[in-house]
Amino acid sequence: MSDTATLESFRLADSFLPVGTYTVSYGLEQFIQDDRVEDAADLEALLVTYLRHQVGPAELVALRAAHAAATEGDLDAICEADRRLSAVTLAAEFRESAQRSGDRLLSLQTDLRDEPVLDRYAERVAADGSPGNYAVVLGVATGLADVDVRDACLLCCHGFVTGLLGAAQRLLSLGHTDAQRILDDLRSVMAEAVDDSEDRTIDQMTPFAPLVDVVAAEHERAERRLFAS
Amino acid sequence: MAADAPHPAFEGYATEAVPQAAVGSPGKDGVLELTFERTADGTALVHDYATVPFHISGTLAHDPHPSADTVFIQSPTGGIAQGDRHDVSIAVGDEAIAHVSTQSSTKVQTMTCNYAAADTTLSVGAGGHLEYVPEPTILHADSRYFQELTVDLAPGATAVVSDVVVPGRLARGERFEFERYISRVRGTGPDGLLFEDATHLTPADSDPTAPGVLGEFTVYGTTFVLAPDRDETELSDALHAVVTDGEARAGATALPNGAGVAVRALGDRAETVQATLHGAWDHARQELLDVPAPSGRKY
Repeated sequence: MSDTATLESFRLADSFLPVGTYTVSYGLEQFIQDDRVEDAADLEALLVTYLRHQVGPAELVALRAAHAAATEGDLDAICEADRRLSAVTLAAEFRESAQRSGDRLLSLQTDLRDEPVLDRYAERVAADGSPGNYAVVLGVATGLADVDVRDACLLCCHGFVTGLLGAAQRLLSLGHTDAQRILDDLRSVMAEAVDDSEDRTIDQMTPFAPLVDVVAAEHERAERRLFAS
Repeated sequence: MAADAPHPAFEGYATEAVPQAAVGSPGKDGVLELTFERTADGTALVHDYATVPFHISGTLAHDPHPSADTVFIQSPTGGIAQGDRHDVSIAVGDEAIAHVSTQSSTKVQTMTCNYAAADTTLSVGAGGHLEYVPEPTILHADSRYFQELTVDLAPGATAVVSDVVVPGRLARGERFEFERYISRVRGTGPDGLLFEDATHLTPADSDPTAPGVLGEFTVYGTTFVLAPDRDETELSDALHAVVTDGEARAGATALPNGAGVAVRALGDRAETVQATLHGAWDHARQELLDVPAPSGRKY
């Protein structure tokens, strides 16, 4: 990759990126509330499930499709992957979170870059013609920046895990070293999730984590909560 | 001497293997077609066609709704065997109300080769209502089962579609010993895809009891209450309140594209998951049809 592409990927992977990932926990808050996650080991096991059953078979498939479509300037294919990802994401809270952070990233990227595809996609999202999911916006942004698709997928996994680790630090007494250790331990699982997404078409998005769905449904209605999801 | 020979002269015959009926042969490719239409006297089953292993003995008129019709799909076989390919099509016409269920659990038998598959296509006409609430699917050890269900809704149509999967003959200690189970449920409307839910379990490769997947639970079920013209957030909250009282761990969430609500339930036994989902069905029925759900008793 060129220096510009590498730096773009660093910027997009940084928790400094103002897309509001600090407001989401993807049900983690409720897992902790329910005493299902009490320590670093429980957290790591749950993150493995997220990577294997949600991120790999759904988000990354959409990201890849958006990445390829953006490179070819195919707006319809971007929107199709986007709609498909929403259609397979059954937990309402997760769709809202993905759209909220997707919206922020999209407006940031359209401000920074002068790319016709990005502008047209943003118009489509604004007109409710496409949901604007975070993974899809990230796919478009990385595709246009010539970030290699595998790196873009890994970047997505890294961003997802660091976001949840950040949430866990506020919800659990999880130290910085523990957080780094989990991030380090999950490297092979992230690579596996990327491999798993490789041969899937957008018709083959199969996220499957029923207990996460049930817990997220409880979180939607929780009276006191720190996180939007 | 072959153990089952009735007479010494039959010993030679008895040693010969009976080849299993091939894929596509009679009894292996069951077809079921049901069409309901609205008539002056309520809903009527105007077309039915069933080949083995499907059997229909007419309709039942016990539904609390005066113009609804009910069909229980029967099977003379012990379940689904390797090489079976089933094709079910159920169409509900404009303004008709139909409830279709099975008489008992669908047992997917142990397999040594090939696989079994079922393709179910449901369609509901304008202002019509279909309830497809079959008994659970039980996956015996070493079974491989692929099921696909599509439900298409015309404007103003509603549906309740339920699916419960039991990962083995639990009472004999068999659980998660099947080889592969894929189930896809897809909802479509006038503008195309509304939602899709896929279950893909391969217990030998990926632990189904992982945290967040099924966790400590074994039986898993989902009821889709499809009502694109309703306020899904309100319905979702109401159904969630109903199911959190049940014995199973359950929750409701609004489906994408305003399609309706998905209610997921996890439990240790099929009965608790079914009871919880029945509660959701009952509430949805009061909302959509203004009558309670039938008891669910099949005998």
